[in-house]
Amino acid sequence: MNFKFKILDFRWLVLAGMVFVLCGAARKEEVVLIGLVAPLTGDQAYIGTGVLQGAQMAVEDANAKGPLFGDAKVELLGLDDQHNPTQAVLAANKLAANPDVMGVVGHFNSSCTKAASAIYHEGRMTQITPASTNPEISRQGFDTFFRICATDDVQGPAAAEFVWSKLGAKRIAVMDDHTTYGKGLADEFEKKFKALGGTVLRRDAITQGEKDFTPLLTKVKSVNPELIFYGGVYPELALLIKQSRKTGLDAPWMGGDGIFDVTLIKLATPRFSHGTYATMLGVDPHSLPSAKDFVARYEARHGEIGSFSAYAYDAANVLIEAIRRAGAKDRKRVLQEVRKMKDFQGALGVVNFDEKGDAVGRSIGVFKVEEGKFKFIEEIKPA
Amino acid sequence: MSLFIQQLLNGLTIGMVYALIALGYTMVYGVIQLINFAHGDVFMVGAYLALTLIWAFAAVVTGAPFWVVLTALLLFGMAGCAVLGALIERVAYKPLRASPRLAALITSIGVSFFLQNAVMLIYGSKDQSVPEIIPHVRFEFHGVSFSLTQCVIFLTSIALMVFLTWFIQKTKLGKAMRACAENFEAANLMGISADRIIRVTFVMGSALAAVAGGLFGVYYGSINFHDGYLAGLKAFTAAVFGGIGSIPGAMVGGVLLGVLEGLGAAYLSSEWKDVFAFVILIAILLFKPSGILGENLPEKV
Repeated sequence: MNFKFKILDFRWLVLAGMVFVLCGAARKEEVVLIGLVAPLTGDQAYIGTGVLQGAQMAVEDANAKGPLFGDAKVELLGLDDQHNPTQAVLAANKLAANPDVMGVVGHFNSSCTKAASAIYHEGRMTQITPASTNPEISRQGFDTFFRICATDDVQGPAAAEFVWSKLGAKRIAVMDDHTTYGKGLADEFEKKFKALGGTVLRRDAITQGEKDFTPLLTKVKSVNPELIFYGGVYPELALLIKQSRKTGLDAPWMGGDGIFDVTLIKLATPRFSHGTYATMLGVDPHSLPSAKDFVARYEARHGEIGSFSAYAYDAANVLIEAIRRAGAKDRKRVLQEVRKMKDFQGALGVVNFDEKGDAVGRSIGVFKVEEGKFKFIEEIKPA
Repeated sequence: MSLFIQQLLNGLTIGMVYALIALGYTMVYGVIQLINFAHGDVFMVGAYLALTLIWAFAAVVTGAPFWVVLTALLLFGMAGCAVLGALIERVAYKPLRASPRLAALITSIGVSFFLQNAVMLIYGSKDQSVPEIIPHVRFEFHGVSFSLTQCVIFLTSIALMVFLTWFIQKTKLGKAMRACAENFEAANLMGISADRIIRVTFVMGSALAAVAGGLFGVYYGSINFHDGYLAGLKAFTAAVFGGIGSIPGAMVGGVLLGVLEGLGAAYLSSEWKDVFAFVILIAILLFKPSGILGENLPEKV
């Protein structure tokens, strides 16, 4: 029930933001806009809302500190891409056409981020994705693209490394959900795991939104894997875990950041999800001293922190800081400032971008579900 | 062999759920030739109503026997969805009865979006976990296992189908429904109130969908406001498969679709599981547009 009001809150916020913009124009007080695009409705609205709230807090923090330059205030303009690349492109065009928008935090899903990146590039607008981990996006060579999270080519191999050397599993199965994200992650995992000398007994794929995986799991059970790696998001994994236990397949499951959400445990029940591993880009925000303040404030206001809220917070802060340094409403100068940014102190640690725009030095955390919670067990430094 | 039987049983279970939803499609189509695309979402609302009742039960009484909770949640879902179905018919379709059929079809898609987003706003966008109310009992037989939940789905579905067949064949209201399906205007001239029959059709279809929703939630243990989409599409396929407008056709179509899907996923590729359902739909439309048990030719949608 709480959620209802949160959504309403956000609608009012956006509306209030727009009214502010209008009033601002009337009062000649300068307003700088930051776009935020994420799935705010549709099947992934739960993550999008967490992202929006994280970025919103960064904007509020910035305004509390005073004007960015002159009397300029910053406002967040939240748009919905419904986890749909077509909508993502529409939203991107809307933002690029608005001269007040200096940059965008988004999008969430790799497919959307990729589709929109060309439009931002054309509009010379800085784009910082808080969550899209597909490595292909930054390989397109757009100088306007940045990402605050690690990529699957870091996450997948780190997971493979962990499975091979820490868990000592040699014969495993790999599964994905047919999405840009899930398949990318599973591919990178499989490549590294094979390079280390491991055997991948089966490689399967499922369809998002599907509910019954028993036929597939019965087949996976027959090859008897020591572990099953899953590239995808948690709603399907919850069902996979549950149904695998019911078909007598007892191997532990492992996934990437897309499964890192307490709802996984709720859906799969603590008993069945016990022993599930997840890699997360960066460590648990709860365990980071630098994120303590943000996490506490976030949770006091919105309840349990979403897995990407802190990333959105950091992304928005980088963008705001760049606008502050640029000291003017000028997209090109903001972009230059983001490019020049060194050792930015974010809630999740120090932010530096490489020449492709990817965050460097982001370590990968490995978590294990124990007693109904994700417990941080290992930090893997990037090679 | 045990794998085959196991997949057959799993397929039958989900097929029963498809059949219950497909009945709603077929009944509405039979009477007013409308493909009610909001029907899948009524099913989803049924699942959420069932979940709400489980929450309410958990808050008020503890230790009630599972069949009490189960009966209560199914009845509650049925009542809620029956009202919802009647309301949808009254608000969205009745004003359009004289309009071209396409208008009502598109309205049904609008109703579908409305229901999805309403549920998202009320219950939140995250998947909701449905507590396990049916005890975890399994019957093992030569490597084939069958759970109590599956048993419940079987018995409930079969009971409802028997009841529906009796209702349609033997009662006055059922006879009136058949008359309307056969010739709407002639039935009207014979003094059958069309409004009433259409309302009854929506109420019954929605109540069946609610049972399917409740059983679905209990079986899979997690529900999402988006679930009505795929389930509705599959059930629609099942209805066409069996012959849209035909009640036994929807039952047979649903069960067959579930079984074919299960076996296809097991022996061919699970990646293409949904593809089977839609390949079946295309094949039926190409080669036998009236479906396996249907008589009247379906209209183009």
